[in-house]
Amino acid sequence: MSEAPFRNPGWAGNTGEFDLAEADVRGVVASDGPPADGGHPSVAPSLPYMLAAKDPAAPLFEGPHLERFEKIKSRYPTARAALLPALNLAQELRGFLSPETMDEVAALLGLSNAYVRGVATFYTMYNKRPVGRFLVQVCTNISCNLRGAEDVLAAFLAHAGTELGETSEDGTFTVVEAECLAACGFPTCVQINSRYFEDVGPADVPGIVDRLQGELQSGAAV
Amino acid sequence: MPDNGRSPAGAATVTLTIDDREVTVPKGTSLLEAAALQGTALPHYCYHPGLSAPAQCRICLVEVEGAPKLQPSCVTMAQDGQVVKTDSPEALKMRKGVLEFYLVNHPLDCPICDMSGECKLQDYVFAEGREHGRGREPKRVFGRDDFGGDVLYYGDRCVMCTRCVRFMDEVARDSRLTVVERGSRAVIDTFFDEGLEGASFAGNVVDICPVGALVSKDFLHKARAWDLDSTPSVCPGCSQGCNIELHTRDNLVQRLKPRENAEVNGHWMCDFGRANYEGLNRGGRLEAPAAGRGAKRRPAGWDEALGQLFARLQAAAGADVKIVGSAEWSCEGLAALAAVGAETGEVSARVFRSRCAADEDRLPGFPALARRRDLAPNVDGARTLGFSRVGGEDAAGGLEEVAAHDGVLFVLGDDLADQEAAFGEAASLFVYMGAHGSEAAANADFVLPVTTFAEQEGTFVNVQQRVQRFWPGLRAPGEARPAWLVLGALLAALRGGEAAPASAAAAFSWLAGERAAFAGLSYEGLGAEGAPLAAPAGGNGAA
Repeated sequence: MSEAPFRNPGWAGNTGEFDLAEADVRGVVASDGPPADGGHPSVAPSLPYMLAAKDPAAPLFEGPHLERFEKIKSRYPTARAALLPALNLAQELRGFLSPETMDEVAALLGLSNAYVRGVATFYTMYNKRPVGRFLVQVCTNISCNLRGAEDVLAAFLAHAGTELGETSEDGTFTVVEAECLAACGFPTCVQINSRYFEDVGPADVPGIVDRLQGELQSGAAV
Repeated sequence: MPDNGRSPAGAATVTLTIDDREVTVPKGTSLLEAAALQGTALPHYCYHPGLSAPAQCRICLVEVEGAPKLQPSCVTMAQDGQVVKTDSPEALKMRKGVLEFYLVNHPLDCPICDMSGECKLQDYVFAEGREHGRGREPKRVFGRDDFGGDVLYYGDRCVMCTRCVRFMDEVARDSRLTVVERGSRAVIDTFFDEGLEGASFAGNVVDICPVGALVSKDFLHKARAWDLDSTPSVCPGCSQGCNIELHTRDNLVQRLKPRENAEVNGHWMCDFGRANYEGLNRGGRLEAPAAGRGAKRRPAGWDEALGQLFARLQAAAGADVKIVGSAEWSCEGLAALAAVGAETGEVSARVFRSRCAADEDRLPGFPALARRRDLAPNVDGARTLGFSRVGGEDAAGGLEEVAAHDGVLFVLGDDLADQEAAFGEAASLFVYMGAHGSEAAANADFVLPVTTFAEQEGTFVNVQQRVQRFWPGLRAPGEARPAWLVLGALLAALRGGEAAPASAAAAFSWLAGERAAFAGLSYEGLGAEGAPLAAPAGGNGAA
């Protein structure tokens, strides 16, 4: 067995092999829904859901989404256990969890609607109100805070033209604070929809906002 | 009985040491329960004997020798040879710390809190907490939330023990309550505006709330806990006969609280019974005996009235007797009434009227308990004593024959509210005994004030054919006396020289000697939890 050349630069720098575009990693096909074959049940509620088109009036659940919902149910021993991925799926479709959505999911899983509300409100990653086309989550936890996350947050609010937790008038941006995005090595970290922007300083914010606007106009936004 | 935490008799026991004292308990007993048996009351919020224990309040932590850290005593099972220290410096320090956290956002509004005086947070902090808080930050404020029904929620006072959530889940089986949000923003709530409206056992969440977070709207700011007197009693709402406490102040019932009885109601009672106490406070009571029909009626002392009545009964010997009883009066009173009737002559009717609901309302998590169809506490007692139910489901009608009776007529405890003033016009002797006067009592030869069950000792028989005692929580108005005392004296005189019962105990032992169904029961033996009738009453079917 030939020895692989030892390559450890000692830091997570750019070694070339990770220099991939988003489309290379996620695939253009996957960003429009689940893999055509449905994938293994264990990944049914995973990544691509964040990229589906959102329609607050979308039915729960139909077609491929019904298929995924059935997979979710088959994967967990109890209805309570299946609730989190089911809510994920509902949020993927509708963009947020309205009281009506919680009620529908409760009925589909045979849980009490109060219980579903309790779970949905416990987790911050479920949106309980409609959010903009881009959900900008700025980490303000320790590492990011030490590197000026408050200024980054202020810059996003200023450039998106909105208040903390609110959606801009054109419906493009919702800016919120987040607690630790698990990227403490690259503060300040900002998560926009499913994408991470690392090492963001206040000066980078106008460029990011412009890029998102551009993606929106070109139709490349995810 | 899986839900009372006790092992069946004969099960293996374990012996352990709690605070240097040895205690032997059945296997499967938690340390908290074992400590209670041994005499140490450990603090607890989330643990409740009628619910599952999630061990989340962290206030019952104790030191167990050999365990790496403090153990929650509510879910740690007692084991042989265990050495437990409930008051070691380590445990005390931990509990003090936990209590400090509980007070971080607690408003300390005890002066305006209904729970003050019976609040577990107050008690524990007083016993084991810090003298002064160290918090400098402002406390978060939620205000209050109307859950509908009789329940009001003060989020600021809540300790998040989730007893209420678990009660609705496990006992009421109607999961309407949940913890909404997380961390310091967590509150108990229902599904948005749904509320607890229509949940017929929701009042229990107020009882089991260890602090003042869930309070009764009916009792809101009505009385302080330390001003209330508590009397063990039996709920008069229906034939289930839930064991309750009458909480009284200023000679008025202020509220009813369930009293534990594993055979009848567990720790619970229904909202219907809970809200049903106003009738006990009804004014306009009969206060003094009176004799004479219509315009000839004059007040009379008890001696005079009973003397005259005795003479009239002797004169009427052999007459046709009809008796109207009530399912809200004690067994002793009804039995004495039936015996007086039998001594006087031929009893041709022994009837009572009571309200009926359309259906039962069962508590799914404790199926022995239901709000029964019969909405009176002693329907089964009255039946056992030979009374039969007449009239409609609204406790009206059914007395046509009695009203026109031309013999001797006794009425006990029935207000005759639907009857005309001509009731009993033809009766040769009409004795009306009750708590309230009635237009239909105009023709009564004797009007005798008797006490309600809340003002006397006595027994009821519930739907399980269980004899249960109650105690007087209110002072009787004026000269009103228990029916068994009045009728017992009369009966003793009629029977010539028999000793009249001078106490409720004597009245019950007379009843046990007189009636086969009650044979073998002793008043002392009934205790606070009652006992089943000796022989199941024929024809009623055992419950």
